[in-house]
Order: sequence, then structure tokens, then C-alpha cells
Amino acid sequence: MSIFYLIYIEFMIRINAPHWLIFALWHLISFIFIAILLVITVIILVLFERKYLAFYTRRKGPNRVGTYGCLQTIADAIKLLFKENIEPKNIDKMIYYTAPLLVFSPIMTVWFLIPFTSGIIPFDSSCSLLLFMAILSIPILATLFAGFSSGNKYSLIGGLRACTQAISSEIPLFLCLISISILSGSMNLDSIVKMQNDSIFQWYIFPNILGFIIFFISALIVMNRTPFDLPEAESELTAGYHSEYSGMKFAMFFLGEYALTFILSAFIATLFLGGYNSPMGFYISDLLNLPIIFQEFLKNIEQFIWLMLKTGILILIIMWIRASYPRLTTEKTLIFSWYILTPLAIFNIFIMAIYKLLRSIL
Amino acid sequence: MIKSFILPIKELIKGLYTVFKNGFKKRVTLEYPEKKKLLNNNFRGKINYIKENCIKCGICQNVCPLISCIKIDTDFSIDLSQCIFCGNCVENCPKNALYFTKEYELAVNNKEKLILKEDN
Repeated sequence: MSIFYLIYIEFMIRINAPHWLIFALWHLISFIFIAILLVITVIILVLFERKYLAFYTRRKGPNRVGTYGCLQTIADAIKLLFKENIEPKNIDKMIYYTAPLLVFSPIMTVWFLIPFTSGIIPFDSSCSLLLFMAILSIPILATLFAGFSSGNKYSLIGGLRACTQAISSEIPLFLCLISISILSGSMNLDSIVKMQNDSIFQWYIFPNILGFIIFFISALIVMNRTPFDLPEAESELTAGYHSEYSGMKFAMFFLGEYALTFILSAFIATLFLGGYNSPMGFYISDLLNLPIIFQEFLKNIEQFIWLMLKTGILILIIMWIRASYPRLTTEKTLIFSWYILTPLAIFNIFIMAIYKLLRSIL
Repeated sequence: MIKSFILPIKELIKGLYTVFKNGFKKRVTLEYPEKKKLLNNNFRGKINYIKENCIKCGICQNVCPLISCIKIDTDFSIDLSQCIFCGNCVENCPKNALYFTKEYELAVNNKEKLILKEDN
């Protein structure tokens, strides 16, 4: 149990709160934390991506709203909020309106599984990896729903492409998760992070570099990021599965896409790059002589910053790839994930099992 | 066998590096209303008319490919909403009474403002 949870319980018992309220309120607090974090990261990410792509393509990017365009995303969000609700003619109404919610809510749920610091783990479960696998396959269903219900051939093709692509890439993604749980002997994300805490050489990227590369590439396919963004190929399919959506419904898809980008990067950082652990092996806040509560508080902030730094570097690389490479064709993506990534991922599990065995013997 | 694996990876890294180098070059964006593009000397913008040089010979009206663009009866007028900026009238004017300026922001609310007459 983290020190924050203990302080919270202590406080609630002192004011004689009923038991059900204590637990309900704790979950509400973590929900609010996640919701605020999600909105802030997405707002920053959207603006940052536009600026960063402008940097690589010799442009200036948004620079009109606010100083250096820092309020651009907020202006866009206000515009989307006040847009009229446009309903195309041939839609399947119920599925059409469920799809944006169904794409966004599972992604938000996945955010609860991440151990942000040693103190803040919104949902600490003994099988978080399994939950991650299960929940992450729901947004794909939603993209298929969106494509199917729009009554538009481009949307349908986009939805089908998203579905086939995601199914083919989720298998290597999940096989890499198995190799991680072989190494750590656990499916709990917090204990996976704690196994990597001693130094930079304890990180799972070092025995499992092949797994890291496979996970990164298949995460790119799941996120629909540029070398594999066939479902949204604007030159062939206008905007793919969300071409019939506008206003707030489109914003849900957009938000979901960036939230997924962030959360998968955070997952890669957690599984392979030591999560919230400091790469130096010690925390800077531990060197200060402060009362234990302040020190714990500072340590949590520092851990959060480390996790965000690692995630940020991964996002930088993902956006750099977006600026550099052209799009693959559908069959090449599928061949790549079925013929190269999946066998390599299975081979990787085999190697990791042997590595674990050798380490236990020697 | 190994070469066929290494070569594409090498090319991918080369691509990333090429894009990275682009980030440190000069920006190509021009922020339009504040900064404007430099125009060359033979740019064909809005046509100006010098009343003192004009002898009302009517050559400009004859060489104009459009029927009702240039009108000379008692006074001279050009309808810029029809003009295609071909430059025939400017080239053929014997007294250099017509010339091109570099003005190109010609959007107006009222179409009649595009008809240039002697007095303006």
C-alpha cells in the first residue's frame, strides 16, 4: 500500500466516514486524476505533434492563437464543441452513435492500469497485463462499427482495413507481453516495474531487445500511425472509418487516437524501460534530508517525471517516424506482421525462456 | 541473407537522418499579411492609367481579347473583374499611358469598385 493511500484512510477514519464512501471516493479520486491527465496530455500532444512535424518539414506550424500558437488546440476543441450535429442519410443510428464512445472509453480504461508512480496506481490488479490485452481489443471493434454504420463505401473499407490490420498486429504485441511475463514471473505491472529498479542494466530492454522492437512496431500498427496508417489513408479513403463523423463525435475518435498513442508509449516505457524507476539507480529526492512525508511526495513527483520523460522520448521517435516514412500498402502490412513479426515474437519467447532458465541455474 | 536484412535497416536509418537534417534548415513559411513575397519586375498586377499621356487612339480597345473590358467613348475605363492581365494593352500603347503595378490584393465587396476610370 502506498503512503498516500494510508494517509487518505487515516484522514477518512478520523472524520468518521462510512466504509463504502471511503472506497468509492478513492476510486473517484483516481478517476478524476486520470481524466485530467488524459485531457492535458492530449491537448499538449496534438499541439506538439503539429509543431514537431513543422520542425521537420521546414514550416513554422501553428503560431497565431496565443504566443507561438500555444492555445491552438483549445481553439480547435471549442470549434468542435459548438459544431452542428450532422447525421448522414444511410446510417445505422444506434451503432453510429455508440462507436465514438466505444472507441474512447476502453482506451481511457487502459490508463488506469499504468503505475504512474510507486504511490499512484489507479487500478492495481494481479493480472493487469491480461486486462490490457482484453481491453485493447475493444477499440478495434468500435472502428469496425464506425465503418459499418456510416453507410459509405470509404468508411466501410477503412473500418475493415483497421480491423484486419489490428488483429494481425495484436498477436505479436501480445506474444511480446508473454515474453515479459516470463522474465518477471508476474502479470502485475507494478511488480514488473519493481523488478527493474536497481540500475539501467536491470531494464527488460537489455535481455529482450528483440521483443522491444517487435512490440514497438506492432504498437505502431495498433495506433494506426504513419507507416501503417492505412485505415485513414487520405489519398484513397478520404478519412477512413471516421469520414462521416463531425463535431464532438469526431473529437472522440481524435482524442482516442492520441490517448492510445500516449498510453502505448507509456506501456512500452513501463514494460521495457523501467517504468517510473530512475535510470541512475537512486532518486535525487532521496539525497535531500526532509521529513518523510515531504520526501515521499517529492519522490513520487520525481518518479512521475521519469515516466513522462521516457514516454516523451518514445513519442518523439514515433512522430519522427511519421515525418520520415511513406505509407505501406495493405497486403505488405499484413505480410509483414504475419510472416515476420509473429514468428519472430514466438522465437523471442523461446529465447527468453532459455535466458530465464540459464539465469536461475547460473 | 544477412545483407538483405541489414540493407533495408540501413536505408531506414538514412531516411530518418535526412529528415532530421531538415529540421535545422531555414524555414520556408512566409507569414502572409505581415511579410509578403518579393515580386519580379515584370509582375502583372493592377493596371494604372496616366490621363495626361492618353491620346484616346483606341488601340488598347482593339488589341484587348475581351469585348467589354476596356471602354473608350468620352473617358477611359477598364473592368478588372473581366481583365485577364494578358498585357496586350500595356505593350501596344504608343504613349505609355498604361502600366502594370505590383498590387495584387484586389478583393472588394462591391463589383463596381473593380471598374477603373480616369479619375481614380
